[in-house]
Parts: sequence; structure tokens; C-alpha cells
Amino acid sequence: MNKIFAIAYYTLKENIRNKVFYVLIFFAFLILFSALLFSILGGEAELRLLFDFGLAAIELFALLITIYASVNLVLEEIENKTIYLLLTRPLSRRTYLFGRYLGILFAVYLSVIIMSLGHLSLLGLKKWTFDPGYLFVLFGLGFKIILISAVAIFFSLFSSSAISSVSFTFFFWLLGHFTEELKFLGLRLSNLFLKYLVKFLYYLLPNFQYFNFRDHWQSGLNVNFIFLTLLYGLVYTTVCFLFTSLLFSRKEF
Amino acid sequence: MVAIRTENLTKIYHRRHLGKLRETVGVKELNLEIKKGEIFALLGLNGSGKTTTIKLILGLLFPTAGKIYIQEKLMPNREIIQQIGYLPELPYFYRFLTVRELLNLYARLSELPRGEINQRIEETLEIVKMGKEKNTQLAELSRGMLQRIGIAQALLHNPQILIFDEPVAGLDPLGIREMREILLNLKKEGKTIFFSSHIISEVEKISDRVGVLNEGELVRVLEQKDWFLRNGRLEEIFLEVVSQTKT
Repeated sequence: MNKIFAIAYYTLKENIRNKVFYVLIFFAFLILFSALLFSILGGEAELRLLFDFGLAAIELFALLITIYASVNLVLEEIENKTIYLLLTRPLSRRTYLFGRYLGILFAVYLSVIIMSLGHLSLLGLKKWTFDPGYLFVLFGLGFKIILISAVAIFFSLFSSSAISSVSFTFFFWLLGHFTEELKFLGLRLSNLFLKYLVKFLYYLLPNFQYFNFRDHWQSGLNVNFIFLTLLYGLVYTTVCFLFTSLLFSRKEF
Repeated sequence: MVAIRTENLTKIYHRRHLGKLRETVGVKELNLEIKKGEIFALLGLNGSGKTTTIKLILGLLFPTAGKIYIQEKLMPNREIIQQIGYLPELPYFYRFLTVRELLNLYARLSELPRGEINQRIEETLEIVKMGKEKNTQLAELSRGMLQRIGIAQALLHNPQILIFDEPVAGLDPLGIREMREILLNLKKEGKTIFFSSHIISEVEKISDRVGVLNEGELVRVLEQKDWFLRNGRLEEIFLEVVSQTKT
């Protein structure tokens, strides 16, 4: 455990001392402020617009930071050979991977906290009364980050370039929000091959729609559904991590 | 006692390009024996298999065939890895960390007891004469300083076996001399040093034995007396061996 936290700690440091991390947060704040301007045009729905737009911006930039941290830093470590001095120590590859993963999560969560505080400040300016449901929405986002980080690390080891890793990860994130539509499409297809292909994609892709707790917040919490969703997230992440671990154990440097 | 031993160690690289599979021999049936407490240099031209050999021993590459023993224990063995200090060729470090933070990370990963870490960091920085730079960010250090930090991290956990890949690469003449002194001092402490190089003048000054690699094969192992008898002309012997192997 000591080693996992040692690696997680330096990963967190690596991110918070990285200019790109702050550039992305800066742009997130720009978007949040632009959300404030757009919301003014929204009339009666001003607060709602600021709320939704702000959360969407936080999610988008959390994704960008996750992708950057997961893909770029792991690939960079392999290309720069800094990984040599880690793997030639009494450290299992799985421990290294898990420590890296944990550190990336800490860094992204830190960015989400910073962006959320900014968002809440703007909402506060518009006399919004704090609702604990906001934290529930962030909790759902937190789980999305757990999932997409695992996917991003998998692709960073599976593909040989940063561009393909980023593309695949983004593709997974995007399609993961349209899995129900994919399922609907599959039911409508007559071509058997395409039908099964779409079905395969439906099960392969992470279903991020489950984690849109924002949709459940207003209509009321279904504890059963939340529990099953979190279980789904943990199982998917674990399976992804196991595949990544297997791939990494066979990787040569 | 033998510190490092390889038995018929073979590594064949498989690369696929435009659908065609291409095989390159990294090392072929390598039978190497490095005795405890000696300085053994692996000499060879670029691409002869020196780095491949080192990476195979350390588990960064997996052998196609053959076995590796360290202190007579079959590798991979995580406990034995603890006995090895490694310096890669032209090492890169985390630019965002300070010297102390980097060594702290490596110390924790090397299972050094918490209470000993700070003291050990101070000691190794003194050995490599980098004590004053402990709070400097690695991005600010010169090539020579980074090489010294590289040695410091290799010595941190007081390993018995040191494996250095091209330890004088990128160093100026003063840096090379300081590296030579460090290696000779480490030998006096009873450490086994296995290093690769293609700088013959340095190899002949400090090595007890030299293995000549050519196109992945260990073609000759020379003792110190072999080049001392030729007035220190290891270069002549090396070129002779390499050209004989080519014909």
C-alpha cells in the first residue's frame, strides 16, 4: 500500500506542477463565465441555464484533464524511459499501474473541486440556494471519471501513439452517452451481422447515461438503481483494469 | 561466487512492417558469468546487444530462450531485484520533482525503512557530491549532474550489484574521471559492477574483465592481464576480435 500511495502521490504532484493542468482549469473557468453571460439571455431559465451549462463544462474539462493525465503522462513515461527506474525496483507492474491510476483520479478530482467551487460561486451570485443534490451530481461525475480513466490508461498502453489513445478514449466517452440509442438502433436493424455488431458495442461500451445523476436528482432517488449503477461502474472498471494489467505485464521496454 | 549468470540467453525481436514479419537477433545463446566483487564491462559496437543484455537481466525485456540467475536465484525474482542498483543510459527523471523528492520516491519503492530514508538520501548525495542540490528541481540540473543523481538513486538501497548502461555517456572529461573514481570506490566496498560501454579507454582503466559482444554474440571474454600485456591496448584487441568475427 505504501508503494501505491507513493506512486499516487508523485502522479498527483506531476499533474499539479504541470502547466497544462492549469491551462485546462483556466479554460474551464472561461467557459463557466461565458455560461454566466449566456444565462443572462435565458430570461426566466437563467439559473437553470447557468446550472446545466456549468455542470456540462465541468464534465467536459474533467474529461479533458483525465484524458491528458491518463494518456499523455503514461505514454511520456514510457517514451522518456523514466519508467525503467520504477520497474527495476521491487515493485509489481500492477502496483505501479494502480498507483498511477489512483494519482490520476486524485488530480482530476482536485480539478473538479476547483471548478465546482467556481461554479458554485457563480450560482451564488445569482442567489441560488445550495442543494445537496449538487454533490450527488458530482458523485455521478466522479464515477464517470473512475470509468473513463481506466479506459484511457488501457488505450494508452494498447496503442502506440497519444493521438490514437486520445481518439479511442474520446470515442468511448462519446458513444458511452448514446448506448441506449445504440440499443434502439440495433433492435431496428434487419441485417443480422450489423445487429450483433451493434449489440456487441452496446455491451462493450461503458454506459455513461447511468451516471447522469442529474437526471434522477429532480425526479427522486432510486436507491436500488444507484446501488446497481455503482456496482456496474466498479465491475466495468475492474475488468478494464485487469485487461490493462495483463497487457502491461507482457509489455517490453 | 557468481553474482550474475546467463545460460544460453537469447532474444529475438519480432517486428511487423507492412504485413511482413521481421526478426532481429538481439542476443544469441549468451553465456555470461560475472563474479562477485568484480568490475565487468560489456564492450561492443552500437547495436551489438549490450543494452538488450542489461534489459533482459533486469526484466525490462523477456528472453526468447535461456535463463538468468542473479546470486544463483532464477529470475524474475522480486526479492533479488532489491539487490540491484540500475542506471540506464542517459537517464531521464521527473523534471517537476526536486532531487530530494525523487530520491524519496525511489527509496520508498525500494522498501527502505521510513526512518532511514532521509539519512540514506544524505549519504548517497554526499557520495556523488550533489548534497547542495537536494532542493533543486531536476529540470534545472545539467547532464552531468543528472548522471550523478542517476548513480545516487542506484546506490540508495545499498545494493550489492550495480548495473550501469553506458555510465559515462554524455559526460565531460571531468565528469568521466569522477565517475571512474566512484566506480573504483564502489568496488573497494565489495560491490559487483556490471556496465556496458563503447568507450574503450575508460573500460580498460577500471575493469577486471571485459566481455566483447558482436552482433548479439559473446565472442570473447578478456582478463585484465590480456590488455595489460599489450601495453593497455584493449582497443586493438577489441577491433581484432570484432573484425575476426565479421570474416
